Amino acid sequence: MVGALGAALLLGGACGIPASSDVRVDGKGGTATEAGSNNGGRSEPPTRTASGSDIDAFVRNFLDAAAGEPDRAYERVKLFVAPEHQSKLQEKKGSEVALNVVRLREAVFTGNSDLTTTVKIKVQQLGLLRSNGTLAPPVATETGYEFRVRSAAFGGDDERAGLYVLDPPNVLLLSDNALQQYYQDESIYFWSSDGSRLVPDQRYLPAAVPDERRVNEVVKWLVGGPSDWLRPGVVGLPDRTELVNNATGAHNRWEVNLDMSGDDQTQIDRLITQLAWSLGDLRGELALKIRNNALPVQDLEARRNSEALYPIIEGPQRYGVYEGAIRPLDFPGEPSGDVPLSAEVNRNIVSAGLARAEGRILAAMVVNSGKGRHRLAVGTGPALNRSGKDYASISRPVWLRTVDSRPGRGLVVADGRLYRFDEAAGMYQVPLNLPTPEVTAVAAALDGQRVALIAGGRLYVAAVNLDGGGVSIGPPRALVTSLTGLSAVDWSGEGRLVVAGSAGQPAIYGISVDGALETPLKTDVGAKVNHLTAYPTNDEVPSPSVGYMYEANGVAYRSSPFERIEPGQVRDVAPPPAGLRPSNPSAPFFLY
Amino acid sequence: MVARVHQTWRRSLQVRVVTITLVASSLLVGGFAYLIADKITTILLDSARTDVRQRVNSGAGYAAKQVSLYGQPQEAQLQETIEDTVNYLAGGDPEQISGVVVAITADGYPNVIQARTAPAANVQPLISQELRAAVASGKVASQIRTGRLTGEPTKYLVYGSPVPTRFGQIELYYLVPLTQQDRTAADARATVVATGVALVILLGLLAALVTRLVVNPVRVAARTAQRLSAGLLDQRMVVNGEDDLALLAASFNQMATNLQRQILRLEEMSRLQRRFTSDVSHELRTPLTTVRMAADLIFAERDEFDPAVARSAELLQAELDRFEELLTDLLEISRFDAGFAMLDAEPTDLVPVVHRVVDRLAGLAERVGVPIELDLPGTPVIAEVDPRRVERVLRNLVGNAVEHGEARPVLITLGIDETAVAITVRDRGVGLKVGEEKLVFNRFWRADPSRARQTGGTGLGLSISLEDARLHGGWLEAWGAPGQGAQFRLTLPARAGDRLTTSPLRLVPADAALPFGGPRDGGPLAIGPGADGTLAIAPAPAEDGHRAEVRS
Repeated sequence: MVGALGAALLLGGACGIPASSDVRVDGKGGTATEAGSNNGGRSEPPTRTASGSDIDAFVRNFLDAAAGEPDRAYERVKLFVAPEHQSKLQEKKGSEVALNVVRLREAVFTGNSDLTTTVKIKVQQLGLLRSNGTLAPPVATETGYEFRVRSAAFGGDDERAGLYVLDPPNVLLLSDNALQQYYQDESIYFWSSDGSRLVPDQRYLPAAVPDERRVNEVVKWLVGGPSDWLRPGVVGLPDRTELVNNATGAHNRWEVNLDMSGDDQTQIDRLITQLAWSLGDLRGELALKIRNNALPVQDLEARRNSEALYPIIEGPQRYGVYEGAIRPLDFPGEPSGDVPLSAEVNRNIVSAGLARAEGRILAAMVVNSGKGRHRLAVGTGPALNRSGKDYASISRPVWLRTVDSRPGRGLVVADGRLYRFDEAAGMYQVPLNLPTPEVTAVAAALDGQRVALIAGGRLYVAAVNLDGGGVSIGPPRALVTSLTGLSAVDWSGEGRLVVAGSAGQPAIYGISVDGALETPLKTDVGAKVNHLTAYPTNDEVPSPSVGYMYEANGVAYRSSPFERIEPGQVRDVAPPPAGLRPSNPSAPFFLY
Repeated sequence: MVARVHQTWRRSLQVRVVTITLVASSLLVGGFAYLIADKITTILLDSARTDVRQRVNSGAGYAAKQVSLYGQPQEAQLQETIEDTVNYLAGGDPEQISGVVVAITADGYPNVIQARTAPAANVQPLISQELRAAVASGKVASQIRTGRLTGEPTKYLVYGSPVPTRFGQIELYYLVPLTQQDRTAADARATVVATGVALVILLGLLAALVTRLVVNPVRVAARTAQRLSAGLLDQRMVVNGEDDLALLAASFNQMATNLQRQILRLEEMSRLQRRFTSDVSHELRTPLTTVRMAADLIFAERDEFDPAVARSAELLQAELDRFEELLTDLLEISRFDAGFAMLDAEPTDLVPVVHRVVDRLAGLAERVGVPIELDLPGTPVIAEVDPRRVERVLRNLVGNAVEHGEARPVLITLGIDETAVAITVRDRGVGLKVGEEKLVFNRFWRADPSRARQTGGTGLGLSISLEDARLHGGWLEAWGAPGQGAQFRLTLPARAGDRLTTSPLRLVPADAALPFGGPRDGGPLAIGPGADGTLAIAPAPAEDGHRAEVRS
C-alpha cells in the first residue's frame, strides 16, 4: 500500500509533462534570402537635393517625387516640402492614396522679396493614378498650381543644401514623364462577360517594385477587378476572391494562394489562363492554391502557347479601294492576299472593313447607292446583303472580332450616329451615353470587347458587351489628349491607339488607352485625316513594322517607312492610258 | 499502538505474508507504472515536438517567402504581410479554437516592426529570454512553458525559428498547447495507477487467501494441540481431502491418539500404584494394630524378661512407632495423590503455633544440644490457614533443623506483609550442596544415603510439607550452602485463595556468604584474567585507582 502510494505520488509528480523545461536547440534556422534586385537604377525618382539650386529642375523633380510605391508616396513628397510646411500636405492612407497625373504645360518663376520664389505651373489633368495601378479619369479640374520655393540653406549659399517647397498643393502631383519613367505599364487580362476571351486592362507598376513582387501586384490587381470603364464588358474574379497573403516566388516558380469561392475546374482553368497572360512575359511555373488546395503546377509559357489571346494566324494584308473596287496593295517583302469579294460585287465601293473569322472572311463595304447616298453592304458575294436605308455618309465599318463561330457583328458610324450591323446588313442604332450625340469615328480593338470613339471632336474608349446577340456600349471614358479636332482613330496595340487630330496643324499621335502617354507619330500630315487604320500589334503575330495607314486629302499613306501609297502598288491594275492621270488608291485597310 | 502493531506482526503469519506481498508488489508495480507512464509522456512529447517542428519549419519557409518581397523593414506592407502570414499560419480563421498561437516578432527591429500574434494574445510572458536569445542567434529552439493566454493556465510547447529576410532576421514562434497531450498523459497515468493499485490489491487479497488456506488448518491444529495439552485428549482435527494439510491433520490425530493412549495407560498405572500404596497401607494397619497391642503388652512386661529380651522388646516398640508413623505418612501422601486432601482454612494467629511447635520439640532439642531461637513479631500474625497443616509443616521443618543442627542454634523467623506471611527456619548444620535444595522435597530422598536413620524421619516429611504448602497456594522453598547450613521458607497467602507474588522474608539469609567471597564493604570488584586462562573476579585492590562503572 505504501509502495502504491509512493508510486502514485511519483507518477503524479515526476512523469507528467513538465510545467517548464529548458530551451532545446534543434539546429540552425533557414539561411538568409539573397538580396532582391530592383529594376535598374532609374527605379527611384531623384531626391530633393539632386537638383541643387536649379529651380526648374527642382520643380520637375518635385513632380516626379511621388513616383514609386503608393504607400510611401507622401513620405517621398514630404521630403521636398519644407519641414514647417509638411503638415499642409494632408496624408491619405492605403488605397486612398492617389496621384494626380498631370502634363506640365508651363512653369513660371517669380522671385519674392523674402528670398522665396513663387512657382506657377500650368498643367493638363491626365488622370488619377490609384494605388491599384489604374489611371482613372481625372477628378481634379485645376489647370494650374501655385507654390513657393525657398533655399534649404539658412543664410548660406550652399548649393548642395537644395531647395524646399513652401505652401505645397494639397495633392500628390505626378508628371506624365515620371509616369513614363518610373512606372512600367502592364496589361492584365479579364475575361469578357460572355467568357469567350481575355480583355486587356492597362495598369502601372512602379519600377521600384522588385521583380519578386510583380506577381503579387498583378494578382492583387486581378483580385481588385477591372478598371471602371471596362466593367460592362468583362467579369472580374468571383466575388469575395481574396489573395491569401502575398504571391511569392523566385527561380521561376511562383506561388499564388487564392481564397476563391467555387472550385469549378473550368473556372480554375480559365483563372490559370488569365494569370498566365496577365503575368505577361514571366516564365516558369505557377503553383496555384485555391483555399490552400494545391493545384497541379502549370508552366506559364506553355499555357500562353496553348491558349492564344487572339485567333490570328496570319500577318496583316493591305488593301485599298481603287476605282470603286477593293484591291490588294502590294509592297515588297510583305504578304498580300487576294480580293475575297466576287468580282461582280466588287464595285461602287467607298470604303470597306474585312476581318477573318473562323476560316472565313467577313466583309462589310460602304457602297455608293447613287445620288450621293451610301448603303452598307455585307457579304463576300455573289450576292451582298444591303442595308435597308441609305445614308449621306457612312464611315468605314469595323468588325467586332469574336473567337467563336457566332454571326459577325460590327459597328459603323452613319450620319453621325453609331450603328451596329450584322451579316444581314441590318443596322441598328447603338445608344451612347455621351455629352454630344455626334459620333465621328469608331474603331474596335482586336479583342472585340473595346471600342474607341470620336464624338464631338473628343476621344473616348468604351467596353462592348456582346451578350444576348446585341451589341451594347458601356459608359465611354473620355481620354485627354493634346490634340484637338479629332477626326479618325484606330487601335495600334492592346493598350495603344493611333489618333488623328490637330496639334496646331493636322497630326497623328499615338496615345495610350488611358490617355496618359502620348507620342506624336506624324505632325506634318498637312490635311485633315479622314481615314485612319492600323494593325494592332499583338503577341500572336506581332508585325510591329506594319504600323498604320491613313488617307488625307484623298491620298493614302502608309507608315514605316512613311510613304504615299502609289497606284502602282495596287495589284492587277493596268496602267491607265497615257495622258490620263491615274486615280489614287483610297481608304486603305488591313485584313487580318 | 506501536506495541499492538508489533504484536500483531509477530503473532499473525497472515499479516506478515500479506504485508510483505503488498510492499513487494507495490514497489514492483509502482516501478513499472512509473516507467510506462514516463515512456508514454516521452512519446507524446516527442510526437508533439516532431509535429510542431515540421509546422515551424514549413511556417518559417512560408514566412520567409512572404517577407522576401520586402527589402526594407520600414515598408508599410511588410507589417500587413506579417499579420497576414501569422493569420495564415494560425489557420486563417481567427475564430478557430485549436489553441495554436502563432507569433512573429522582430527583436532586431523593435520600433520598426511590431510583433504580431494570431489569435491575438500576449505571448511575451511565454517566450522566455533564453528562447529569444537562442532563436535570435539563428537557431531553431523549443521550450515548454506554462502560461495563461486564454482562460486557464496551459502548458505550451513554444517553438521558435528564425525567419531570414532580405533586411535581416525576424522570428517565428509557434505556441502549441499541450492540453491534449497533458490530458492523455494524465489519463494514461491514471489508468496505469489504477491498474497498478488494483493489481496490488488483488495480489494482497490473493496472498491473504492463500495464507488463509494454509494458516487456517495450522491454527486449527494449534488450537487442537492447545486443547490436547490442556488435557482434552479426545480433541481431533477434521481431515479434509488428501493434501499436505490433510496429511498433517491425520498425523496429528494419530499422534494425539497415541499420546492419549499412552497417557491413559500411564494414568492408569499411576492410579494403580497409588491405589496399591493406599491399599497396602490400609491392609497393613489392621495387622499392625494387633502386632502393636501384642508389642505393647510385651513392652509393658519387659522388666520381667531377661535383659536381652527386654532390649528386643524396646527395639520392637521403637520400630513399631516408626512403622506406624510411616504408615500414617504414606496414607497422608496417598490422600494428597488421590486429591482427597481438603484445606480447612480459618484465621489463625501463627505466633502460638510457632510456640507450640517449639515447645513440643524442646525435649529433642535439649537432647541434641541445639538451642532454638525465635524472631517473632510482637503482634499477632493472623492468616487464613489450616493450623493443623501449618503446625505439621513447622514441626517437620524445625525437627529437621534440630536434627541437622550440629549443636548450633536454630533460628525461626516469622514475617508478614499485606498479602502474605512467611516463616523461615534456619540451621547452621552441614548445609545443602548445590542442587540439593530441589531434591530435598523428593519422597524418600536422603542427603547421604549411607547415613543410618538415627531419628524417626520417614523420608516423606518434606514431601507432605510441600503438598500442604501447595494446598494453601503457598510456597515451600529451601536454601543451603555447604558449611553454612540451610534455611527453609514457608510463604502462605494472608487470605486463602490469593495468589502469591512476593514473600515478606528472604530465602537466602542475610549472613550467607556470597559466591566468590562477594564484595567487601561496597568495594569494587576487579574482573580480569585468572590463572589457567579462566576469568577471575576478585575485590579490586584499594590502592588501585581504576574504577569501572556499569550502567544499564
